[in-house]
Amino acid sequence: MTLPGIVFAALMIIFSPANVLRQDVKAPPQFELKDINGRIVRLSNYRGKVVLINFWATWCPPCRVEMPDLIRLQREHGKEGLQIIGITYPPERKLRVQRFARSLNVNYPIILGTHQLKASFSSEEVLPLTIVIDRDGKVSDIISGILLREEFDEKIKPLLIQKEGEKQNAKSNH
Amino acid sequence: MRSRITNLVVSSVLVLTLGVITAAAFTKTVTIKVDGMKCAKCSGAVTKALKATEGVEDAQVNHEKGEAVIKYDDQKLNEDKLREVINGTGFKAVAEKGQ
Repeated sequence: MTLPGIVFAALMIIFSPANVLRQDVKAPPQFELKDINGRIVRLSNYRGKVVLINFWATWCPPCRVEMPDLIRLQREHGKEGLQIIGITYPPERKLRVQRFARSLNVNYPIILGTHQLKASFSSEEVLPLTIVIDRDGKVSDIISGILLREEFDEKIKPLLIQKEGEKQNAKSNH
Repeated sequence: MRSRITNLVVSSVLVLTLGVITAAAFTKTVTIKVDGMKCAKCSGAVTKALKATEGVEDAQVNHEKGEAVIKYDDQKLNEDKLREVINGTGFKAVAEKGQ
């Protein structure tokens, strides 16, 4: 193989989609914070689940529109290992958040967040923003704007099915 | 042989031109006023919802002007549908006078 050929092959390997993807997949920053009901929420406790960290605000109309869908997803896919965590984006008042969450019967923990907390996950200037963490605790996607049904089917459902598939494989091996 | 090639080239150009003219004829651009879009962070959700809609070719949402400029295929969509999409993001597409 000629030198330009070797260089070209090396560049192809370095910048292949698989490698680029592997570089993007990273561990999320860990946190341990109290939710609006005073319960401690540790991200590390949800290892093995598919976690959606949803940054939102009561003053953000798209976030309010999205929340009933997130509640439904938590209800329908919680048993498959889906765990949603809501983190508010400032400025927010705890009482207002509590009232809002109560009015919708939110079925997942809500934490009062800070600018820094959101920045530690993503620099994207969009709300709502959803960080997708796979069962191995790695960020597999960042979804900006309202989570669309197609995005859930394409990017999150496979992560939930993965475990089901593994369970079935384990059963058949025994 | 030469005339065959010439014919082929002429036909291809004609087909391409017709295609471009047809596509251009179906593309419309509309500016829709959006009420309550004060937060820059939230306007991204409107852009995303519009761009995810079949028939929308481009959408530029400006929260400062409070408007969305949308380029769309009028064979697949109409302004009412675009307003519905905007309303679905929690904002209010302002109806034009007479609507």
